Amino acid sequence: MDYYADIAVQILFLIMLGASLNLLMGYAGELSMAHATFYGVGAYTAGLLTLPVATEAIAAASSRGVAGGAGWDIGPALLVAIGVSFVVALLLALPALSRVRGEYLVLLTLAFQTVANQLMGSADSVTGGAYGLTPIPPAELFGLSLGMPTQAFWLLLPCTVIVVAVCFGIGESPFGRLLKGLREQELAVKAVGKDTVVPKLVVFGLAAGIAGFAGALNASYYQFIAPGTYDLNLSILVIAIVIIGGVSNLTGTIIGAILLGSLRPILQEVAGDNAIAWQAVIYGLLLVLIIRFRPFGLVPEGTSMLRLFRRGGLEPAVAGASSGVKSVTAVAPSIPELPPTPGASTAAAPPRTDAVVLSEPVVVTDPSPVLEVRNLSKRFRGLQAVDDVSFDLERGKITSLIGPNGAGKTTIFNLLTHVITPDTGTVTLNGEDISGLSPHRIAKRGMARSFQDGRLFERLTAVENVMLAVPGNSGENLALLATRPMHCRARDHEARELALEALGFVGMRAQAGTVVADLSFGDQKLVAIARLLATECDVLLLDEPTSGVDPGAVEGVIEVVRGLRDAGKTVCLVEHSVHMVGQLADRGIFLDQGRKLAEGTLEELMGQKHLTEIYFGA
Amino acid sequence: MDATIISPVAAASFELFRQLAVDGVVLGTVYALLGVSFTVIYSTTGIFHFAHGVAYVVAAYVAILAADTLGLPWIAAAVVGIAAAAAIGILVEVGAYRPMRRAGATALGVFITALGISIAVPNLIQILFGPNNKTFVELSPATIELGTVTFTTLDIARVVISWVLIAAVLFALRRTKWGLATAAVRMNRNMAAAVGIDPDRVHVLVFGVGSTLMGIAGILFLLNGNATPTMAASPMLIAFIAAFLGGIGSIGGAAVGGLALGLVTSLSGLWVASDYQPVIAFAALFVLLVIRPQGMFGRRAA
Repeated sequence: MDYYADIAVQILFLIMLGASLNLLMGYAGELSMAHATFYGVGAYTAGLLTLPVATEAIAAASSRGVAGGAGWDIGPALLVAIGVSFVVALLLALPALSRVRGEYLVLLTLAFQTVANQLMGSADSVTGGAYGLTPIPPAELFGLSLGMPTQAFWLLLPCTVIVVAVCFGIGESPFGRLLKGLREQELAVKAVGKDTVVPKLVVFGLAAGIAGFAGALNASYYQFIAPGTYDLNLSILVIAIVIIGGVSNLTGTIIGAILLGSLRPILQEVAGDNAIAWQAVIYGLLLVLIIRFRPFGLVPEGTSMLRLFRRGGLEPAVAGASSGVKSVTAVAPSIPELPPTPGASTAAAPPRTDAVVLSEPVVVTDPSPVLEVRNLSKRFRGLQAVDDVSFDLERGKITSLIGPNGAGKTTIFNLLTHVITPDTGTVTLNGEDISGLSPHRIAKRGMARSFQDGRLFERLTAVENVMLAVPGNSGENLALLATRPMHCRARDHEARELALEALGFVGMRAQAGTVVADLSFGDQKLVAIARLLATECDVLLLDEPTSGVDPGAVEGVIEVVRGLRDAGKTVCLVEHSVHMVGQLADRGIFLDQGRKLAEGTLEELMGQKHLTEIYFGA
Repeated sequence: MDATIISPVAAASFELFRQLAVDGVVLGTVYALLGVSFTVIYSTTGIFHFAHGVAYVVAAYVAILAADTLGLPWIAAAVVGIAAAAAIGILVEVGAYRPMRRAGATALGVFITALGISIAVPNLIQILFGPNNKTFVELSPATIELGTVTFTTLDIARVVISWVLIAAVLFALRRTKWGLATAAVRMNRNMAAAVGIDPDRVHVLVFGVGSTLMGIAGILFLLNGNATPTMAASPMLIAFIAAFLGGIGSIGGAAVGGLALGLVTSLSGLWVASDYQPVIAFAALFVLLVIRPQGMFGRRAA
């Protein structure tokens, strides 16, 4: 009986490790090679804290290593173990996660795993070296002892359920949605005004903290810890559990943990001494095959049975709005301003134009330009992509950047939103110099951009895409999510309503529950505009909103963009279609080879022969 | 980080410093070869070839097998081992990475494939050959004493062979037709394909070259070390770190990165017990990531 209970307990540990790593890998899309180390950090921390205080008798009996610990109870030791793992993870990830390349985190965690594991074996005075720490007193609760496999199972089962529930709750919260956004399109998350570094750090620390919790329980269960348990092989085994089960899907992780966790005892019967090696060969090959033929794992994202328990669901709010009308004015609802967000950085932002009510034309009286661009230049090696360009955007007007391919139009957008750093030049938004700000801060100040290729979060639904852009959604902050869950729920509900209204504005409300990858390209462009609208920015930069859209749908896009202006937004377009520009733009700025050649109404510009020659080719 | 290469710590003195510096050059040379072998592949294909260590361990075991069962002289057996390393590298590219690319896999997907291979192969070797040490050849290199500094003829051979190989790779990449094709694929894969260069063949080439170098590193280790199924774990990590220290994608940078890493690791013996020397490599990586994320010689991404 104890034999089977021990196997079951091992599987519970694997589930805890897998669920926490899935939060990082599945939701945030970041790979850690050091999950076993954080498990070990928790184990050693709890081990050292709960070992009885050394007495002379113990010291005499122990020939090597650590003779005693702090003699704490398991409760506080668990908390400290979580905290230590969390902090160590944050320190480790800080340099890697603030960089762009995913390889850095892989490399750094791999190096950390290897080195930390060697240290566990060599730092005799702290870890007991190869001899490890023993005898760690097993925790007891409700008369059950963690030292007895059968009893331990009944103690660890609720712990595992709690861990899975916490991971599930976080994964399916607004914070989890933000993580998925990071996984799909990090640049787009910045472009809608959300910080990307803090959420990644938090989830990395959180996954490590949960692993530390499991490690502390592990130390108490085995009453003995040694470095061999927390090696790279375990890290890879946990990765295999997540991949094989299915990323961002905890049901899959549980199945994966049961599959791989029961593999070893079975192999023990068949292969004897080689069981561990066979286990590694099997899950290694499974990894190769699964990622090739079933890349989303045995249980792909979104097919979980647990989805049934998901609150609210996606569809109900949409049911009545399926008229499919593309005529914007018919469905345009009002998007009220959100109340100010407590504690969020909106306090620092300058006041925006008055409450935006999209259904009524807004008369803009303030004559000062909302955006002033001065002497913007950027050189890429031999190519002067943008050359000393200056212009203003007038409030409440549609301005179009016109010019042949290679004129530098998209580059200007990238410079304005600081996706690329300009060589020279200043950008002033509402009188404030925003030149040096990071992309997400610029969006928070009130200027957001769309992308030629959409850059939607492909595996999320249309409404989730737009919700991610709604500012001040408290549930995206994990601290608020934990301390004020009801408030966060209410705010997320508001965000959903706002997102549905924005989708309604572009005539996409009926498709709110559709995964974006399943939408036509034209519909994706509309979702992108809805996402832009949901940022509540006053200045919207649209990069070729009609490119790739089939001709029948172009009129719909034109209506939508006009609707944006009528709602008081300042719009700047990059557009190739002269038809579209003629229909829409109040003003045009003509660019060629990075320089501004002329500025004026479209008639004025097209009346100049040399410009039309450049544009259409002489 | 093989403790046998690193001298034990004695009192910090100038003699010790000189000895550690010489040891560091020998160690750093090995590291440079490892770093270059990885970067040849990574810089051109963009694949984080986590299964790179497979070439190292396969070269060693095939060489031992060739010597033991075929009775080949050790140099011939070494050549067979190195050829096997090249073959396994190309096999991984053609049999695993290429189908993933064709299926439109992400970088993470390809990495997971590599991870699976890197865990399956050494364990398969353990099942076939057992977990214990295997010896290849009993060389008895002469010891050379220059004042208080000592090193062996084997050390000299390692340094010379490694740097000749690194120089040859750098030369071939800059001066030969295949090298230019490689550069073309590195800069713009689609454009290279458009002008008639087959990127898949270039991939095979760089996987072949990179795995050959890794296989040679494995054999060089075997000349006074033992083979174990997990022997590639540490060199693989060193290869990655050297490559990233030098600057991603720069082959010369990887060579200098490896040399610097070896020197720093060895010289840290002045202050740090050898048990803790692995920490030095990690610390070097960590510090460089903080202060110069593009690597010593890398360009900052736009």
